[in-house]
Amino acid sequence: MAAETETETIEREATGEQKGEQERNRGPLERWVGDSISDPGRAYKPMFWLVTIFFLFTTLFPFYWLLMVALTPEGQLQDVWLTPNGFNPGVFIEVFEILPFHRYMFNSFVIATVATVIVLLVASLAGYVFGRLSFPGKGPLMLLVLLVSFFPPAAFFIPLNDLFNTQISILEPVLSDGSIYNTPYALIIPLSAIFMPLAIFILTTFYSQIPDGLEDAARVEGTTRLGALFRVIIPLSAPGVATAGVLTFIGVYNEFFFSFLMTDGQPQSWAPILDGILGYQGQYQTLYNAMAAASIIGVLPMAILVVVAQEKIVSGLTAGGLKE
Amino acid sequence: MATERDRGRLAPVVDWMENLSEAAYAYLLLIPSFGLLALVAFYPLISTFWMSLLEDQTRGAEPLGGFVGLENYINILTGDARLARQFVDIGFTGSFPFVELGVGFFQQALFVTLAFAILNVLFTTLIGFGQALVLDKDFRGRRWVRVAVIIPWAVPIVIQGMIFYLIFQPTVGFGADLMSWLGLFGSDPLASSQDSFFIILIADVWKTSAFMALLILAGLQSVDRSLYDVAKVSGASTWQRFKFITFPLVLPALLVAMLFRTMDAMRVYGLIESTAGCTTVPSLTCMVVEAMFGGTRIFGTAAAVAFMTAAIIGVFISVYIVKFRDQEGGVY
Repeated sequence: MAAETETETIEREATGEQKGEQERNRGPLERWVGDSISDPGRAYKPMFWLVTIFFLFTTLFPFYWLLMVALTPEGQLQDVWLTPNGFNPGVFIEVFEILPFHRYMFNSFVIATVATVIVLLVASLAGYVFGRLSFPGKGPLMLLVLLVSFFPPAAFFIPLNDLFNTQISILEPVLSDGSIYNTPYALIIPLSAIFMPLAIFILTTFYSQIPDGLEDAARVEGTTRLGALFRVIIPLSAPGVATAGVLTFIGVYNEFFFSFLMTDGQPQSWAPILDGILGYQGQYQTLYNAMAAASIIGVLPMAILVVVAQEKIVSGLTAGGLKE
Repeated sequence: MATERDRGRLAPVVDWMENLSEAAYAYLLLIPSFGLLALVAFYPLISTFWMSLLEDQTRGAEPLGGFVGLENYINILTGDARLARQFVDIGFTGSFPFVELGVGFFQQALFVTLAFAILNVLFTTLIGFGQALVLDKDFRGRRWVRVAVIIPWAVPIVIQGMIFYLIFQPTVGFGADLMSWLGLFGSDPLASSQDSFFIILIADVWKTSAFMALLILAGLQSVDRSLYDVAKVSGASTWQRFKFITFPLVLPALLVAMLFRTMDAMRVYGLIESTAGCTTVPSLTCMVVEAMFGGTRIFGTAAAVAFMTAAIIGVFISVYIVKFRDQEGGVY
């Protein structure tokens, strides 16, 4: 910064005599525009901040409005604009009194964590295969993975629901009545499968971009085939892996269709956060303020956690990485 | 050496894996993913496909009737199916433009879905790219800007729907008044198919731009920074640096993001259900869900609509698949 201003002053002194004459006749904006034309680098910074502020405003405004809805006391929800109608911060405590919302959050957190771990492990193997190995049938198999994402979730639902409600005698020692319905697996299994194609494609793209030489070097050093994947390929693709993880975690945490239908909606049967939020919809009235407060409570910590974790992962793994 | 640590009880397995041919090793590593997909996706899909070939049975104990072949599919295309909204409703005329819409453009599932997907992918790509470029810069507070950009993606669909429903609800929110004052929307936008279409488009672009931004950002972070230094030294302008370094290197990640965004947009349902409702803005998935859970017991037709949706998505997606093949040929 100091160096920059110094050079600026020097420049200004050099051209001072002609400039001084002009500057007296120009407004500050005009002067800024003139300077920017002669040196585009100067225009870049304010434009950058302008764009950033624009994005911040558009992404955060609906969220801000949601907060206003949450703070508006029940029954006064009319023409909410920039301020709430009344002030009721107690709603953030009320939501836990109406429903055990923390239990729903816990359920969702467990389901999303387990599903993300499964997806990253399984999709890493598949992404490695599709991105780095050549074998007969590669194209058709990739297409088969993609095919899953063509179908609306409803297309899977009826057969899966039958399957999960079937009592399977081998499972009886593990699950109370031998059926998967109302257990965390009823969500973890289908959601892992549904978010897996995305993760496979992301990881395929990133793994295929790692230069062959790095993997070969590790193999020459005596690393096993799997070791090369986990010690070389995955760490070097950290931004891709972390992004696949974030997208899967948040995706599972907020999934709509299966979350709604695969449990009976009770917190003790591993119903996710979605059922908690919908729980504020009564038969006769909907507590919009509670729904809004609950979603802020449910979303905000998760988003922060995910972002902080992601930055840690990316900087931790790529710190020692180098490109060929 | 690393191998020594791995030796022990696992030694025979490791040796066996080391000696597999490349193809055999590839198939081995694909077993977990395809096992999971077979259980959760392929088996239910085959079962649903069989349903789509059976007759609807609206009465009686059995949910489905006898085998009717492709009749359900033909009924849907000709408009004879018992669906609340038509899949597509066009007639052909002798004069220009030779086609005639039976009902409004925004009330036909096929057109609504295609228009939604194209506009959605266009806007999310542009906005997502902008957000990713901002987040790729090093500045104070970047972590918090990143949280802000990701937050919409973390909002559950029910809540996303609720926010935009309330904003455009004439008594609660300000959106309806504002937009009708600007002359863009009617006085009750959520009751009009056209206005609701745009509300849903805005709501979805708001939420899913973050998805694009994150994937493109991951692509940007993997770009070797020294390339930019080389370009700077050779006197490349900012635009040239973007065009010749950033864009080609981000393109693979961008294509994956656009591919999945397209498929997601074409399956839009939860957002519509929680804002304007499926009768106002019928999407293809809306039709599947209404037919399957609407209480009319037209399970065969529902399954057939699901497969037709998949077929349409497949046709639409083939564009990307051709692109992927080009990439593959170009890069390697």
